[in-house]
Amino acid sequence: MAGFILRRLMWFLPNAVILTFVLFAAVTVWLGSPAAMMLGRDASPAAIAEINTVYGFDLPTWQQYLRWIGAALTGDFGRSYASHQAVSAMILPAIPITLELTAWAILLALVTSLGLNSLAVGRHVIGVLSSGFSIVGITFPNFMLGAILIYVFSVKLGWLPTAGWIPWQSGVIDHLTHLIMPVLTLFAYYFGSFSMIYRAEYRAVDQQLYVRVAHSKGLSPTRVSFRHILPNAVLPVVTFIGISIGRLVGGAVVTETVFSIPGLGRLFVGAIASYDFPVVLAMGMIVLTSVMICNLLADIVLASLNPQIRL
Amino acid sequence: MTRLSKFLRRGFGIAIILIVGAAGAFAPWLGTVDPNASSSDILAASSAAHWLGTDELGRDIYSRVLYGARISLIIGPAAALVALAIGAPIGLVAGYSRGKIDMLLVQGIDVFIAMPGLIIALMITVMVGATAQNLVLVLGFVMWPEMARIVRSLVLGLRDVFFVEAARSMGCSVFQLLTIHILPNIMRTIAAQFAILVSSAIFTAASLGFLGLGLPPPAADWGTMVQTGFDYLSLNPLLSLAPGTAVAFTVLGFYLIGQAVD
Repeated sequence: MAGFILRRLMWFLPNAVILTFVLFAAVTVWLGSPAAMMLGRDASPAAIAEINTVYGFDLPTWQQYLRWIGAALTGDFGRSYASHQAVSAMILPAIPITLELTAWAILLALVTSLGLNSLAVGRHVIGVLSSGFSIVGITFPNFMLGAILIYVFSVKLGWLPTAGWIPWQSGVIDHLTHLIMPVLTLFAYYFGSFSMIYRAEYRAVDQQLYVRVAHSKGLSPTRVSFRHILPNAVLPVVTFIGISIGRLVGGAVVTETVFSIPGLGRLFVGAIASYDFPVVLAMGMIVLTSVMICNLLADIVLASLNPQIRL
Repeated sequence: MTRLSKFLRRGFGIAIILIVGAAGAFAPWLGTVDPNASSSDILAASSAAHWLGTDELGRDIYSRVLYGARISLIIGPAAALVALAIGAPIGLVAGYSRGKIDMLLVQGIDVFIAMPGLIIALMITVMVGATAQNLVLVLGFVMWPEMARIVRSLVLGLRDVFFVEAARSMGCSVFQLLTIHILPNIMRTIAAQFAILVSSAIFTAASLGFLGLGLPPPAADWGTMVQTGFDYLSLNPLLSLAPGTAVAFTVLGFYLIGQAVD
């Protein structure tokens, strides 16, 4: 096992360096001259040259990369060109918001997809409903779902606020009413993916001998499905959640934009739109490394469960 | 999935694509007016003159949604073709060769698959600019790992099968083995995956449009139309909902086709 982890780490490090360098180089090259961008259009060449020396923009890309990584490791991601705030001060408050939104959506999707699909045994109507829902969840664009929800519940019925984010401290009820529609929007996609994965595994587990034994003992179908199949079929769904942590920001991008929620996704879109290079770079790097670390952890966990993989 | 439900899904998917395809192909005849002609009649509700009303520049929404089908039906399949062109060869090589090469390629595929596609697409699109050509390339680049992974696992399952071994022992070159003996046997699944990729390309292109990176105006880009309509939901909700429905419908069609093949 130790050998396996060591081998995976030996893959991980060069991979991480290469990919982060590619990202850094891509963003830097695309940017052209950051100095001109920081000072505005009428900057004098002398001022630009000065900025270049201060920030090291005239250094070769690999030296800039090393400087950036060195600073980032101490928590310094530079300053935003647009707001002149420290990038870390912009990213940190956005993290809990995206996490809360996604956690609600994933939790809701987990409960409903497992429940509905386990209930579906022998009940044709529920089975058709849940497979219909999951196809809709996967194919229905979340901006469309958001638009429908806003139109129905805010514009027509006036029950829920259209958009925005109210923190817990400013009122629990307000916080929750602002959460309902974004959570539902994000939930649809997770529900669809979880259902697909769970149903496939459910069918495989259903063939096992012990399931037949449970049936022949005279247990009710519902009991067999929840007590005997569910615990054994849930693992791939959990693995999927683990691996898709890295996609968290991606999933929230559209939903957060629809409902103007100040989370990571919207921060990213805003930074992209205003060519705010330090924010884009920092977020890209964070997503990239967290994805790679999640992959590494998933590999190690799977290997510890299944000795064959370690070979 | 039972045979019946597969048959139904495939039929339903094909019907949807035919409808959307006809809408795009015959847009000039089905459309009531020029999709880019603006008028003083802005944000009008649906009427006999403008079936779905007009947008913020007084353009006919119905005609614009029809013309939008052309954009989606060109960008989606073209992007999936790019993904196929990059992903399939990589998958073939990775699946057939064992050891170092396979491991290296699988590492690459795994890392790319875990990346949030929309984020990568956003970053690259901003860098290169949102033209139809660039969108096709960007979306194809984001999607190739899916294709590579599927092709690899298919090849892996076939490389030691009896008929392949027989061909190998008769002195077939690796290239012949892959193209003549293995590829035809996995074509069906590749085609299914292709349909899924088309649906996901249309989905992502619409999301990019919604986030402000659609084709530049005056192109009738469905995603961009939804975004524009968001500010006018209370005045004419169809401005958002009509193109949004078109996206959902088209994505669903390709997805059903891809899913109904085993």
